[in-house]
Amino acid sequence: MDKILDTALLMLDGTQITLEIFILTLIIAVPLGLLASIGRLSHLHILSRIIELYIWIMRGTPLMLQLLFVYFALPMIGIKLPDIAAALLAFILNYAAYFAEIFRAGIQSVPKGQYEAAKTLGMSYPQTMRRIILPQVIRIVLPPVSNETINLVKDTSLVYILAMNDLLRVARTIVQREFDMTPFLIAGIFYLAMTAVLTWIFKKLEAHYGKYDK
Amino acid sequence: MANTTNDAAVMLSMKDIHKSFGSLEVLKGIDLEVREGEVLAIIGPSGSGKSTLLRCINMLETINSGSIAIKGETLVQTPPGGQAEYAAQHDCRRILAHTGMVFQQFNLFPHMTVLENLLEAPIQVKKMKKADVLPYAKELLKKVGLLDRADYYPSQLSGGQQQRVAIARALCMKPDIMLFDEPTSALDPELTGEVLKTMRELAEEHMTMVVVTHEMAFAREAASQVIFMADGVIVEQGEPEPFFSHPREERTRAFLQNML
Ligand SMILES: Nc1ncnc2c1ncn2[C@@H]1O[C@H](COP(=O)(O)OP(=O)(O)OP(=O)(O)O)[C@@H](O)[C@H]1O
Ligand SMILES: [Mg+2]
Repeated sequence: MDKILDTALLMLDGTQITLEIFILTLIIAVPLGLLASIGRLSHLHILSRIIELYIWIMRGTPLMLQLLFVYFALPMIGIKLPDIAAALLAFILNYAAYFAEIFRAGIQSVPKGQYEAAKTLGMSYPQTMRRIILPQVIRIVLPPVSNETINLVKDTSLVYILAMNDLLRVARTIVQREFDMTPFLIAGIFYLAMTAVLTWIFKKLEAHYGKYDK
Repeated sequence: MANTTNDAAVMLSMKDIHKSFGSLEVLKGIDLEVREGEVLAIIGPSGSGKSTLLRCINMLETINSGSIAIKGETLVQTPPGGQAEYAAQHDCRRILAHTGMVFQQFNLFPHMTVLENLLEAPIQVKKMKKADVLPYAKELLKKVGLLDRADYYPSQLSGGQQQRVAIARALCMKPDIMLFDEPTSALDPELTGEVLKTMRELAEEHMTMVVVTHEMAFAREAASQVIFMADGVIVEQGEPEPFFSHPREERTRAFLQNML
């Protein structure tokens, strides 16, 4: 038991990097994705097309490739980022693209009649967005956002290939050194625990925003 | 039947309205006038431009040429040979505040309770205090027979109940003209009665109404004027009694025959 505790403590460092990437990516990629979705839906044709292209590239290539690109290829053209920043950049760009698609679909799924009803009641466009449209969008996008967020927890382990000491790499180092599988188990439990917490949070949010659904 | 005295004030006047979607001309020169307390029923085959006409009144669609005045105030007018010119944005807003609309699909706000649906616009748009709107909102709910459903969400109501809430929601802004676009078409047949009853009561209180409908019995009994539209023009117009008993135009006769 003591040994498991010791190992777990050793792994705390790795946990920190994993959490850092997860939280920062989420905090930045969600609003960025919202902006991108609005740009994607805008009548500015060029803006919409550029964002479409960006989303297509981000969703059409492996995140692993994007990570390697930012980490190894950018320095070759003179852009040198600190390790964690490079990883974050790739994660944020990738996840913002996914969130943008989710938000776009959410905004588009609110029926036109909602805008029209608000307009005939005299509401302005900002009032309509804030009071009528966005609350409905939030409810619609919560389940897919929840999915993406849980994917992100697991995707953080991809920084393993960048030789960053995230949870997974720390675990492997200990496993190799001590011929003991416990670190893998602990890592698994950590990912599960994080996923469980997130699932719980999103359930609460969905219940709050979905209370009108019957 | 609502009164048809001709000295009542003109609430809505539309002159030579033209409206196209791309190359498709949907309204080809419509003229009409609705006086205070009148109920104008608009009937006609699918695609004849009834909804478009209604939606031009409150700027859900903009016209290409013609003029519209509401309560004597010009919303849009057209110089000879020119394009439609709308009033300044804040004037349009003020003028359109005289109108309220009820949609075929109800369009209640699903994330708000029945009561919140009614309170939303008076509080957000008119900046009224909740306590000041509440009595009127409740009075309206009582009138449409749904006071006991004030705290329900729209998804918990039947279609007929939702449509009655939608009527109350529009009335809560105290409009002078109510526009209805096929308010019963999305309802199961057994639910249309309760909505039509609410509309009849409104007509009896001398609310000025423009109603696009397929309910001939309603048009006959509650309207003071009936317009038959086809292909973007008014084919025939008149008071319900002569209109339904002795339609002058062949197209009107054919249409009415089909409706029976
Ligand atoms: N936003 C739009 N863009 C292009 N065409 C439109 C649009 N709205 C309506 N139309 C066309 O204009 C014509 C008239 O439509 P409108 O909805 O006014 O008819 P309607 O008389 O209300 O028919 P219905 O009884 O089926 O409701 C139709 O041919 C329709 O396809
Ligand atoms: Mg229609």
